[in-house]
Amino acid sequence: MAYDETRYIQEPEDPSQSQQPLATSYEGTLQPELVLRGRYRIQGVLGVGGMGAVYQARDLNFPEVTKLCAVKEMINLANDPAMRETTIRNFQREANILATLNHPAIPEIFDFFSEGNRAYLVLEFIRGKDLEALMNIADGFLPVEQVRQWAIEICDVLGYLHSRQPEPVVFRDMKPSNVMIDQFKKIRLIDFGIAKTFDVTKGHTMIGTEGYSPPEQYRGEVSPQSDIYALGASLHHVLTRRDPRLEPPFSFENRPISLFNPDVPEAFAEIVNRALAYEPQERFAAIDEMKVALEALGSGGVRPGLSQVISPDGAGISERLSMAAGEVLAVWQFQVEDEIRSTPFVEKGVVYIGAYDNNLWALDAKEGSLVWKYPTEGGIASDPTVEAGYVFVGSEDRILYAVDARSGRVQWTYITNGRIYTSPCVALGHVFFGSDDHNLYAVKAANGRLNWTFEAQSPIRSSPFVSDEMLYFGTETGDFYGLAPDGEMVWRFKARRAISSSPTVNEGLVYFGSNDWNVYALDGENGFTVWRFRAQRPVYSSPAYSNGKIYVGSVDGHLYALDALNGREIWKYKTEDQITSSPLVYMGVVYVGSIDKYLYALNAETGDLLWRFGTEGPIVSSPAADDGLVYIGSTDNRLYALKA
Amino acid sequence: MSIWDFFRRPRPDKKKEKHVEPEVEVAEPAQQIPPIPGGQTRPLPPLEESRPMPARLKYGQATDVGMERSGNQDALLTLSGIIESADSPPPFGMFVVADGMGGHTDGERASFVAATTLARHVTNLVYLPMLAEQELSSDQPTIPEVLEEAMQEADRRVKARVPEGGTTLTAAIIYRNLLYIAHVGDSRAYLINDGNMELITRDHSLARRLQEIGHLTPDEAEAYPQKNVLYRAIGQGDMLEDVDRATRRLLPGSQLLLCSDGLWGVVNDQAILKIIEETADVQEACDRLIAAANQAGGPDNITAVLVQMPL
Repeated sequence: MAYDETRYIQEPEDPSQSQQPLATSYEGTLQPELVLRGRYRIQGVLGVGGMGAVYQARDLNFPEVTKLCAVKEMINLANDPAMRETTIRNFQREANILATLNHPAIPEIFDFFSEGNRAYLVLEFIRGKDLEALMNIADGFLPVEQVRQWAIEICDVLGYLHSRQPEPVVFRDMKPSNVMIDQFKKIRLIDFGIAKTFDVTKGHTMIGTEGYSPPEQYRGEVSPQSDIYALGASLHHVLTRRDPRLEPPFSFENRPISLFNPDVPEAFAEIVNRALAYEPQERFAAIDEMKVALEALGSGGVRPGLSQVISPDGAGISERLSMAAGEVLAVWQFQVEDEIRSTPFVEKGVVYIGAYDNNLWALDAKEGSLVWKYPTEGGIASDPTVEAGYVFVGSEDRILYAVDARSGRVQWTYITNGRIYTSPCVALGHVFFGSDDHNLYAVKAANGRLNWTFEAQSPIRSSPFVSDEMLYFGTETGDFYGLAPDGEMVWRFKARRAISSSPTVNEGLVYFGSNDWNVYALDGENGFTVWRFRAQRPVYSSPAYSNGKIYVGSVDGHLYALDALNGREIWKYKTEDQITSSPLVYMGVVYVGSIDKYLYALNAETGDLLWRFGTEGPIVSSPAADDGLVYIGSTDNRLYALKA
Repeated sequence: MSIWDFFRRPRPDKKKEKHVEPEVEVAEPAQQIPPIPGGQTRPLPPLEESRPMPARLKYGQATDVGMERSGNQDALLTLSGIIESADSPPPFGMFVVADGMGGHTDGERASFVAATTLARHVTNLVYLPMLAEQELSSDQPTIPEVLEEAMQEADRRVKARVPEGGTTLTAAIIYRNLLYIAHVGDSRAYLINDGNMELITRDHSLARRLQEIGHLTPDEAEAYPQKNVLYRAIGQGDMLEDVDRATRRLLPGSQLLLCSDGLWGVVNDQAILKIIEETADVQEACDRLIAAANQAGGPDNITAVLVQMPL
């Protein structure tokens, strides 16, 4: 990293005499060429502080060389006589403190004088940049090892200040812009001015929140612990590149360092966190302790790329898994003749599942033994549904079947003109299902007689959902409909990409995903969008609702848990490949299958992994659960029953 | 009545069964209601008992300079769109409170600019499309998205127009039975339901933050000398990050109170709730809240908006 000194201003070519009149009561910033006290020629402004500017000046007492110095100006603008007194005393305090200090990290003070309503400190000129400027220039994070070194140096100089006799000096203004890195890459502490009085006016004042100040400082309590907190805050800023002044005050714990900068070793982050404890007594007892802790880290622990933290979105969890995987065994598994792409349905001790081997299977839920199977003429991607003793399922052979649940004998069929990929929804005495022939069908459940059809504009692969006398479904052109039970359209919503996801409804809101990467929540009554959430890839998965949250998977590999009312992400979990199937929430656990061949079981509240079960093929279907068992089909041709 | 009708009309039949004598108590003509700058909506004369009450949002609004200030730096804006027709969209309401800060006229200009900028943005992007019966599609931004943008827009305009000024900004949009809130600063939104009063916004004040981390007790926070110091406001600071947003379901009969700290800072929650519960007319309730704040000394400008969901 090159430390260019843009703070160094070139002297103009003709450095001659012309003594300007002395400044007695100038308005505004001093202009270049002005000479103070007949000795310091102002060359330009280095920066502007709270009470005045800091200038680069040349000391004319050394005419044959260019001896530079920094001139810090303090303008006393107070009208109130008491305030004037305080301000003057603060100037003097800074000058006196600096005059007695002697530490390599503290700039030397050469002179102090006043003219009119201004006072000036003449200080050692430091060639370099402050930490805030360095962060602004840098593209990414500053090297962690370098930051650690600087932290140790800062602890050293603060420790020096805290050990001053007769009274410890609390720096009180520790922040990145007050730490300069000089041309030797060493730190220099600048700005010992302390005047920070709150303007107790009535009404609002906006605080550009100090960000680095500890909570007790706002109660007027200042101690060496304040500097420890402020150093912690400054390090947190440098390590995460998140400016605490832009965040709510005292909210560092919301931004764990490892979340932003995985290169920071956990031990280093812990030191920073301890310095940031709200209670002063919970921080380091003295800054020397913090220094010792930082030194003990050693440069070894700070190698970049060494991520010792398990990132919250689930990567790097293989160790936990290999312990957990051994515990999860299938209670039973059943092999069929081709892939299982649909979700099982469990009813009265029997689990029904369709497969791409064209069969509808009925298996004993506890044993996994065959009860019956019914052959259709096409692959079954549709989920079976059982109601009133009938199993309803659609097939690629374009037919919707109603099969007796106990015997497996077909009761009636309904033939459409397109393949059926949707799962039927049984409600209000009817079976509702969509077909690739663009129609949504309403067929009487008892006898298969058609009641009505609704013609959409494209194939329907989203399974309809009936709730509160409204029927909802999406189409492959991205239309989403709300129909009345008689087939009349009440409203229509258009997305820009297909909606293959099946909707789910809760408390008046309809939830579904789209290939346009969004998860939508619409007002069921009028189709108005209440919120939408954008994932990082298409959403084929149908959402599941539980306990105020919506769970949905995306092709981006994540399972998301969103707030049901406002769509905010509560947590997300990353699997190793796409999620195209829908999650199931059962007994506080959310189950979801991924193309990475695993079925995941996560804590529904926190998103923590409980276990995962590996199959031998991508899982594109959703689980079902009943009576303590979870059932999942895989494209490895098997249906598994696992303990929930 | 066909199933079709069931969906379209606001179900007047149900209303008839439940209808009882209206509980609205209207102020007697003899009682003087003090004039409020900017005009006010006067309650209508009592309706005939036999006519069913339509499902309609009711609201009251009031703002007052208080007892100690020389000018009113609060701004208040309400917009209610109710269309009564067989084919109508549900009622729409927008309610905004802004409490300005800054010297000279900066405070009142800042609050005015913020409130009107937000309202214009919401009107253009939400309400006008609704009136135009625009096709429902993913091309339209959602209300929370529009509110977020409106806040940013308000921030930009205040910074441009009133560089030294700042303001709080709390906006509520009601559409059908959902409430959407966007908020910056320490004006407040409360949701009142069945005797419960819930504060749904968070004060962006230093005092509140100190309280949250346990460094001040609630009483200490009340007495804290710099309790008006905000860490987030419109028109101040670098970038406006993190606008608070909330969505709530509104139950029939529930009420929403938006107010500046000139009210909540001097009248405690129980007293506010009592006034609201005891006063059937929302406008009168607002007036009484202002009076209560003035009675407690009125150190700051006082603003209150009270919205009531139909039963």
